[in-house]
Amino acid sequence: MYGTYRYPCAIEEESVSVEVTEENGLFIYRRICGDDTRELVISPRDGELIINPVEPVNLPKNITRFLEIEFDKIVMSPESEDTYYLTFPVEIGVFLKSGKSVSLLDVFSQAASKYSLYGSPKEGVVVRWHKSVVHRKMPEIDNLREGVMSLKIVNPEKEIVELSIGIFDSYGMKIFYNDWYVTMSAEIKVLPKDEAETKFFNAPIVAGTDKTIELYYGREIPVVGKFYKMNWGYQ
Amino acid sequence: MDIVNVFLNTPVGTDNLYVIDVIYFVIIIIATFILAAFISKKIKKGLSGWMPVNDREMTSKIVYFSIVAIGILVALPHLHVELSGLLIAGGFLSIIIGLAGQTVIANFFSGLILFFEQPIKIGDNIGVGDTLGTVEDIRILSTIIKTYDGIYTRIPNQTLFTSNITNYVAHVARRFEYSVGIRYSDDADRAIEVIWEVINKHPFALKNPSPSIYVDELGDNAVVLIVRIWAPSSEWWDVRTELLWKIKIALEENGIQIPFPQRTLWFPEGTGHEESADSIN
Repeated sequence: MYGTYRYPCAIEEESVSVEVTEENGLFIYRRICGDDTRELVISPRDGELIINPVEPVNLPKNITRFLEIEFDKIVMSPESEDTYYLTFPVEIGVFLKSGKSVSLLDVFSQAASKYSLYGSPKEGVVVRWHKSVVHRKMPEIDNLREGVMSLKIVNPEKEIVELSIGIFDSYGMKIFYNDWYVTMSAEIKVLPKDEAETKFFNAPIVAGTDKTIELYYGREIPVVGKFYKMNWGYQ
Repeated sequence: MDIVNVFLNTPVGTDNLYVIDVIYFVIIIIATFILAAFISKKIKKGLSGWMPVNDREMTSKIVYFSIVAIGILVALPHLHVELSGLLIAGGFLSIIIGLAGQTVIANFFSGLILFFEQPIKIGDNIGVGDTLGTVEDIRILSTIIKTYDGIYTRIPNQTLFTSNITNYVAHVARRFEYSVGIRYSDDADRAIEVIWEVINKHPFALKNPSPSIYVDELGDNAVVLIVRIWAPSSEWWDVRTELLWKIKIALEENGIQIPFPQRTLWFPEGTGHEESADSIN
């Protein structure tokens, strides 16, 4: 499904279909994803559709920039680091490219959306919630529903820590995809006082994957990097 | 040329004040207002997407009035107004203004305090007294609220400052609750399970804090369940209106009914009332 298509075109996979047809001189974009449908008239005659995964914080509507992944509790020994694999929900973006201009046309998903609160109602943040099993190796996934996140956990502290959630800022997510995988690579670094920092790596974990068009650009300071500080703990 | 020079050097009033001085003053004032409007507009545009609407509006207003104040201070010497004298004059003036415009001053300072305290922001859903609506603008002297039925309401800042303000979206999440009555013959545990499933399917019924559902009361006509749900403040009304009907449908689909108020009358045998009860039916 992912890729670039000149229209008229019709793409169908599982219960998802995307097509652009020419009817009475108009280009009609139609998308069906389960019970969710969308129809638009698109103007450019020489345009292209680009279909790729986007940051999973847009559906049913964008109310937060944060993704929370809750996972089975991981106990980290002092001054250690380890890498695990988690899953994350996939939202699919359809972009219209005309000349050098690229614009988001549609976002849909087969993954169920659920939101949660990280922190207190007064000062916390609403987050898109996802529950994941912890894997030691890359799991097999349905890349239209789920992606794989390689998560490096770093515990530089002198105490054993237990982690069960990670909060990830969509400003900074680097998603890569091919016909089989949708992937991200992230890190949680444990800090004193039960806090932690999360960040993304701008590198694919699977060779031969392309980087997606980012909806949310991180205002990254080159030297410091882009972090999200988990002030409300990691379990 | 001479005529122009003569005109420009024509005395106006006293104290060596000439037409050219007045023209300088007017030009500086006009330029100040144009510059202030231009810069504040640029700032508003430049900060778009970087700063919340409320902060953006306030920043541009502060910049606007700061530039105007500087412009006035720069322009006044052209009218031969001594700024040092203004301090003394300002003292007297403030007494006069204070007496003449107590309400205006009170509104102004209330506005300043509200600005620093920030109990409300533009776009917030608030309640002040009987007025419920969305904050459209926070001005120096008053705050504009658009009520939910679209009415423009201007509330003086002093009134706002001295009233109880309820800000429905100050916190990122809020809780609401339903009372759901089921029949005594229904299984309350099953009803709780069904309601739980409905809530879990709604994306904006928050996972954490977790919803709570429990039997609250053995009422006259029903077993009353309380359902408490947390939702993002921006979405709570939609979630509240959507879920109640879905809960009702789901309960009915599972054979659990929400009863009407009803009363069963029992008549002892042999009193003759059986007949009258039958005749009623």
